[in-house]
Amino acid sequence: MELIIEEITYGHKLLGRHKFSSNNITIGRGYDNDVIISDPHVCADHLQLHFDGEHWFVNDQGSINGSYLEGRKNNIIQHKIQSGDIISIGKSQVRFVFPNHPVVESVTISPFESMINLARHPFVLALSMLLFASIACWIIDLNNAKEVTAFQLLVPTIGLMLGFALWPACVALVSHLTKHDAHFWTQIGISFIFFNLMWLSDIFENIVQFNTSSNFSMIWLITIIPLVLAFGLFWLNCYVGFHMTPRRRNVVSVGLVVLLFGGSFVIQMSKKPDFNPRPQFNTTIMSPSFLFTPSNNVQSFVSDSSALFEQAAKAAEKDKKD
Amino acid sequence: MKALFALLLMCISTLSFAVEQAEEIFKQLAPSLYQIRLIDKASGEKSSIGSGFQISSDGLIATNYHVISGYARHPNKYNIEYLDNEGNQAALSLRSVDVINDLAIVQRDVTSEMSFFDIAELAPAKGEELYSLGNPHDLGMIVVPGTYNGLKNESFNDRIHFTGSVNSGMSGGPVVNKNTQVVGINVATSGNQIGFLVPHDKLLALYQAYKVGPPESIEQQMAAQLMRSQDKLITTVLNSNWQLKQLGRGLIPTIDVPFIRCWGESNSDKADAQIMAAVANCDLDENTFISSDFFTGSLEMEYRYMESNKIGSTKFYHIFERQLNQVAPGNKAGKDDVTEYQCHHDIVEPTDSNINNKAVFCTRAYKDFPELFDVMYIGISIDHEQYALLSHFTISGVAQDTSLAFLTKFMESVKWN
Repeated sequence: MELIIEEITYGHKLLGRHKFSSNNITIGRGYDNDVIISDPHVCADHLQLHFDGEHWFVNDQGSINGSYLEGRKNNIIQHKIQSGDIISIGKSQVRFVFPNHPVVESVTISPFESMINLARHPFVLALSMLLFASIACWIIDLNNAKEVTAFQLLVPTIGLMLGFALWPACVALVSHLTKHDAHFWTQIGISFIFFNLMWLSDIFENIVQFNTSSNFSMIWLITIIPLVLAFGLFWLNCYVGFHMTPRRRNVVSVGLVVLLFGGSFVIQMSKKPDFNPRPQFNTTIMSPSFLFTPSNNVQSFVSDSSALFEQAAKAAEKDKKD
Repeated sequence: MKALFALLLMCISTLSFAVEQAEEIFKQLAPSLYQIRLIDKASGEKSSIGSGFQISSDGLIATNYHVISGYARHPNKYNIEYLDNEGNQAALSLRSVDVINDLAIVQRDVTSEMSFFDIAELAPAKGEELYSLGNPHDLGMIVVPGTYNGLKNESFNDRIHFTGSVNSGMSGGPVVNKNTQVVGINVATSGNQIGFLVPHDKLLALYQAYKVGPPESIEQQMAAQLMRSQDKLITTVLNSNWQLKQLGRGLIPTIDVPFIRCWGESNSDKADAQIMAAVANCDLDENTFISSDFFTGSLEMEYRYMESNKIGSTKFYHIFERQLNQVAPGNKAGKDDVTEYQCHHDIVEPTDSNINNKAVFCTRAYKDFPELFDVMYIGISIDHEQYALLSHFTISGVAQDTSLAFLTKFMESVKWN
């Protein structure tokens, strides 16, 4: 019976695949073997396989480091091969498969995939980068109290774009280095679409902050949006750049979100003074065209404010006890 | 020439007469004058000094509250001691304070009846010669002649304007008239030859109240005084005439009382400015000293009008927003004195008004004086594309009801012209 031998890494990544129709096969570091493994921990004549007409058997040839079925500790002597068996030799692994070994069902190409490819389309790519540039320009102008010329805006805008392009470039580089396709333009396209979404969510957050009073208790919902967007970006970066199980992809993306937001949270907390003598309040003010909410009257503002005195008095009492 | 000579001679003679009189007064009063020292227990050295004078035969000594404020706030950290004209030192105990008028009464142990200063019954006449006594910069007791110039007009709590050098270390020393009666207590200086005194009647009131019944605890006494004082101040302010003045296209309230003074500034001289800005602020000219890092009793109002036809509405408000990050409290206070601010914000349009504001109100509580707070309000108009008006006030050391009454009146007063 034909036998397929796969050289795999400890992470079960395929390195090479050989198909044999003879009844005797040898594996080892020596050049006389059928499968040559250049691992210094493997002996010149390490494993021998033999077909008795009905079953394949495998035997260790008295190697120094031994041969073990994955997960077990006994040296292999006259082991009857089952399809899918993995045997560790030295610091390498080989896997034996019979031709009738079942394969998983074919995966249909999802419409999602074509959407990802759309991000790479030159038109979409140009559009999202142009949008990014114009928002960046606008924000730089807003933050500049003095009058600014187009040239003064150009340099920081290009700088900002290059800075933001570093992330997808790094992801593409890492996937290239780990023997995956780099997908550079896809990563750029996806990242800039998400960067734009983050700008927009920022503007949206400002509008909501402007239109709500501190009585609005759902404001935390708004702060979740950037978390969700960052998760989406990292998830797609992984999806495009690396072959991963869905579970692993989720874990990696959540990990990156925690690292990014948790890290900046920790930095903020470490800078926070023990006692802040300045009042901290929501300072958002915008042009009247962004105001959609009806106004309150003085009486209700004053009665809302009176609740603060109780809070402050309670805090003073608590501090005094401490 | 003859006339000039006569004039010169006359000047010299009056001058020498004044010096002689000052010397006489000093000799007579020296035994009842003290240097008051706050001794830091841990280091055993003096951490602050001031002057004091005996006001009763059984050893009561008057001084400034700010001289002994360290002890009043942290009795475990300091001892109070006196140093008399013969170089004797001994401990003093704190009996009573008036934190608003910066007075304190301390007591020394006495073995026999001692001489003391008489407190005058009448205020001096304007121009009357007075003599300020004290120990400036730890240099020894001196006497400084000067003139009574009436009560300071811009002061909510009465202060005498004294033309004469009052230096640090003389704080708490008495100011007497020719008859050696105390008419004031040295309290502050405003530079060359301008000194401020606490009028004698404040000390008399504190002394008499002490004789009727000493305070249960200094902290409670201070809390009650701060509470009464803020109530008197805010009630006076609320009942005064609130004049509406024009600032840009806005109308802003200013309070027509002498002790709240207003100042203004604008950038109208800068033709290339993107935003035209005009600022007016009004504040109370005094505050209450509680300790060197804790002041209260301040009142401040600020208005800022900005207009621009050079930049877009979004940028205009964005630049305006950045100014809000600079908001700081009007008084100095630390972690041991107050809580952190609690804030509330909303969009508010007063009924029957033409202005729509983003309004923010913040308050923090005093830890040692219950029911006293610092409050802060900011309103920024958000109803016009190209111009906006910021109205702001902070008051320190106020009660809830008085500050909310002020808030209501303030919010309803600011409007568009």
